Amino acid sequence: MSEEELDPAIHVPARLRIMVTLASLPDGDDLSFTRLQDLIGLTPGNLITHLRKLEDTGYITTHKNGGGVTGRTSVALTLGGRSALDRYSAALRELLDSASPPAPGTRT
Amino acid sequence: MNEEAGTTSAPGSGEAAGLDAQGAAVIMQQARERAGSELRVRRPMLFVTWGLVLLIGYGAMWLSVLGQQPFRGPAWPTLLLAFLLLLAALIITAQIVDWAASGVGGRSEVQRGIFALALAAGYAALLIEKIAVAGAGVSRPVQAVLGAAAPMLAAGLVFVATSAVAARLNWTRLALGLWLLAVAAGGAWGGPVTTFAVCALAGGGGVLLMAVVEPRLRRS
Repeated sequence: MSEEELDPAIHVPARLRIMVTLASLPDGDDLSFTRLQDLIGLTPGNLITHLRKLEDTGYITTHKNGGGVTGRTSVALTLGGRSALDRYSAALRELLDSASPPAPGTRT
Repeated sequence: MNEEAGTTSAPGSGEAAGLDAQGAAVIMQQARERAGSELRVRRPMLFVTWGLVLLIGYGAMWLSVLGQQPFRGPAWPTLLLAFLLLLAALIITAQIVDWAASGVGGRSEVQRGIFALALAAGYAALLIEKIAVAGAGVSRPVQAVLGAAAPMLAAGLVFVATSAVAARLNWTRLALGLWLLAVAAGGAWGGPVTTFAVCALAGGGGVLLMAVVEPRLRRS
């Protein structure tokens, strides 16, 4: 396995952070756009672009409650997104295991 | 791998360039730790707050009724102290929960609301019942036993009932709920003076102990 085979929708620093942050919430929970921005440390414009990419792949959903200044946009990981992150983590582990040198004294 | 460059660069083609597997693992670990520390309610702080409130509040009431002949019940200053401690603990709890839960919506938000509603409704009902019991001419010792044990009973029941609300059983909440029920039931047998000591030492001590046990349970 090579790095090229890792899910390209997730294998980007900002989107990886977004996915892991959302995955830390229990199923059925969502996070407001502003809190997510605070946790990830992106500009609103950048965050919106990354969220759009993840939404296009079906990994997250965004929902807007209300309108105007008081409107709140919430972001949640979908079941498909959680599975995709699990697959990504497993592939990453496999990649790291195969890359790590054998322990001293291990016969090859 | 430049992690910061990865987080601030505009998305586009080749955005993963330079992100190797090791770097991705580091990013995941950092994001997991940050989310864990910022989005998780600091339960040990809650346990310390409420443990101290029980220990000091019930302890003061115990000291004020110790040696009373005949039994008259806790003195007004100690009841005022207990009320102020309760108020302070509620403010601290709201602050601690707000730090973690700000911006978090969905199922957890509903569960927190129901948990708070159950406790508030339970204590409001207990207060009304206590006034009714006093009005019915029940003796001071019986009122004291009810007044000390009933809040523990209500809290214990709510903790036990809500331990299974989340996807996984909350063992800490279940254990604490059962312990509070045992303290309420056991303390009542000791009579009006001893029940305050039991609630202070076993109730407050048990909650304080949870501040030490809960992080270990979570990590295991």
